[in-house]
Amino acid sequence: MPRIRIDHTKCTGCRHCEAACSLNHVANTVNPRRSRIRVMRDGNRYYPVIAGPFVDAACTSKQYIVIGDQTYDMCALCRASCPQKPYFIEAETGIPLKCDFCGIPPSPSCVRWCNTGALELVED
Amino acid sequence: MNGWIGRCLRVNLTEGKHQIEKLDTDLLEMYLGGRGLGVKVFTDEVDPNIDPLSPENKLIFCSGPLVGTGAITGASCNVITKSSLSGGLACAKMRGHFGAELKYAGFDMVIIEGQSEAPVILSIIDDRVKLVPGLEYWGRSTAETEELFKKNLDDSWMARETYLVSIGTAGEKLLPLANLVNDRFLSVGGAGIGAVMGSKNLKAIAVKGQHSLQVADGSRFVQVINTLINKLNSAPLTSQSMSQWGTAFLVGLCYQKGILPRNNFRSTSQPLKNIGIEALNSAFALRGRGCFACPIACIKKADVKYSAFEGKGMVPTYLAIGSLGFNCGISDLSAIGVMSMLCGEMGLDPVATGGNFATLMELVEKKAVTPEELKIDISFGNADSMIEAIRLISTKKGYAKRLGQGGMAISESFNMPEIFMGVKGLSLAPFDPRAIQGMGLHFATCNYGPHHLYGYTFIDELLNVHENLDPLETQGKASLVKRYQDTSAVVDSLGLCNWPLMGLKFNNYVPMVNSCLGTNYKADDLLSIGERIWNMERIYNMKAGFNMDHDTLPERFFKEPVPDGPAEGQISHVKEMLPEYYQLRGWSEQGEPVLGLEE
Ligand code: SF4
Ligand code: SF4
Ligand code: SF4
Repeated sequence: MPRIRIDHTKCTGCRHCEAACSLNHVANTVNPRRSRIRVMRDGNRYYPVIAGPFVDAACTSKQYIVIGDQTYDMCALCRASCPQKPYFIEAETGIPLKCDFCGIPPSPSCVRWCNTGALELVED
Repeated sequence: MNGWIGRCLRVNLTEGKHQIEKLDTDLLEMYLGGRGLGVKVFTDEVDPNIDPLSPENKLIFCSGPLVGTGAITGASCNVITKSSLSGGLACAKMRGHFGAELKYAGFDMVIIEGQSEAPVILSIIDDRVKLVPGLEYWGRSTAETEELFKKNLDDSWMARETYLVSIGTAGEKLLPLANLVNDRFLSVGGAGIGAVMGSKNLKAIAVKGQHSLQVADGSRFVQVINTLINKLNSAPLTSQSMSQWGTAFLVGLCYQKGILPRNNFRSTSQPLKNIGIEALNSAFALRGRGCFACPIACIKKADVKYSAFEGKGMVPTYLAIGSLGFNCGISDLSAIGVMSMLCGEMGLDPVATGGNFATLMELVEKKAVTPEELKIDISFGNADSMIEAIRLISTKKGYAKRLGQGGMAISESFNMPEIFMGVKGLSLAPFDPRAIQGMGLHFATCNYGPHHLYGYTFIDELLNVHENLDPLETQGKASLVKRYQDTSAVVDSLGLCNWPLMGLKFNNYVPMVNSCLGTNYKADDLLSIGERIWNMERIYNMKAGFNMDHDTLPERFFKEPVPDGPAEGQISHVKEMLPEYYQLRGWSEQGEPVLGLEE
């Protein structure tokens, strides 16, 4: 199954992926808040996160995650389109968003515009 | 509307009021947006003879129509005002994410008028426009201001998506060298703008929003961008040099051609091993950062190896290495890194600051003033004292008061104005005009002072991307300069970055513009808009007191041949090229645009 592999060390925080995703889902419209991929900025690092489904049971406690020498709020790196945060909620309609692996095969829109290799399509 | 939002925010700081205006569609067609539209509105509204630091001066932030649409490198927002350093127009280019976020916040343009009594921050967040009391931010560095503002938002999600542009202590103290800094560490470039913002008591502007942007033909637009990304990837400069080292890769090249100046433009040679890209690699771990929608990502962050740079530092660019380092006789990269970081924190323009100190150093060398009188050992090559002096100047206390007035004022106060290496009051970007003639002509004639980002002749003269030109040749340079100057006006007005032109032709932009805006421009149409903008700027500057006598370079470049290096023996031939340049522009022999050229 093809997957999108995210390598945050390569991400430059350019958000071109956000523009690509939103252009591909709402005709002729660009708005990162309507995109199914968001680049989380935490401190000096950028983490692309691709939206996934939210289930109530999955998330009953707050968590922190330590990467290198920094501690992150797990919610920032979580892909759930969860009602607790303003991410992955359609800015205009309020509908929760999920990645639908869009675009012209073989590359999804976001992967195609990501020029650094931070997003890559892999087969396994 | 496609591309444009079509709204402008006018904020009067004296009254603490704001209003939202509609943009005039005819103006958009004639001036595109960004620099063109901003300058048009500014020149219509502001008398050229006012004092730049008075409440009558305005400060305009204007994003181009392609900004935020996903058009490659569509990220820049131009800041237009009357400069406190030159007295003419200033138009600086803000990169990063602020410009795009301003559009998402619902505005193409923000006009700041008047003067606030107490420090304030303008906050445009989710359609709420507010003037937030700014006293607790006053006196803080640009990075601290951003951090504190976000903390005070009390909502980490909102903070993550808010972008700021602010002034540092230099701007607060109205230092003529001051500029703005956005997204924590990006210097906006354009000395004197920071002082104007400081004089208005405006510490920062914060933006965030959820507005959508429309593009005319989404599927064509996506296709065009796919092609442009491929094109950029197949050009060596944009796919490798710029992505790996940022503009710092120019250091080695300029050195080889004798263009990199040293010791206030009096020498060019210097052992390369300390400053080339290898040295850069070993001094910093280079991690790329991109402006909005940029596939090149030339901004290099420096926080990996030095914890001191955490969250603030950026690997010095060519401008910083040349101006703060080499031209002051300093080649220690980590010292240059520290200076460049300090400039970012305090909101100082690296070129103007470097020029300021290079002038001071030559004065000391010529014994016009002694280090004892200055109370600090400023001299070529002394990095420690220069770092100390940069820290001091924005305090403006005691003797430090004399150190930061700008190169021209300093050289005049010691009766040696010929020592100041600048044009129209602004310091030269670090390119020796004797070794690159076209750039010299551009420096002499540029509306915004001697800065290479308003006329990219080095792309052909030095890098030989589109044409293989000899930098020492003068033939054909006048038309090259005109073409690149007009190009820069278009690129800035659309809100794009200049660096992709190291891999793309200007023509390649045209389908992107048309599919985004739903227009039918040809490359020549756009260039004639660029020409119109250039003339409009020129006319305003002439009303503000500039004339053809200012279209020149410091005497040194005509009288003293380059003493050493690959360009040894060369002088500048600007005076010979100038008549042809005026003629190509359709100006009179006195360099005055004939009536109607700005319309
Ligand atoms: S694969 Fe498509 S839907 Fe999913 S994040 Fe990328 S662009 Fe958006
Ligand atoms: S396009 Fe790639 S590099 Fe740019 S922000 Fe998205 S993931 Fe990061
Ligand atoms: S090339 Fe550099 S300056 Fe230009 S948009 Fe890209 S990252 Fe920004």
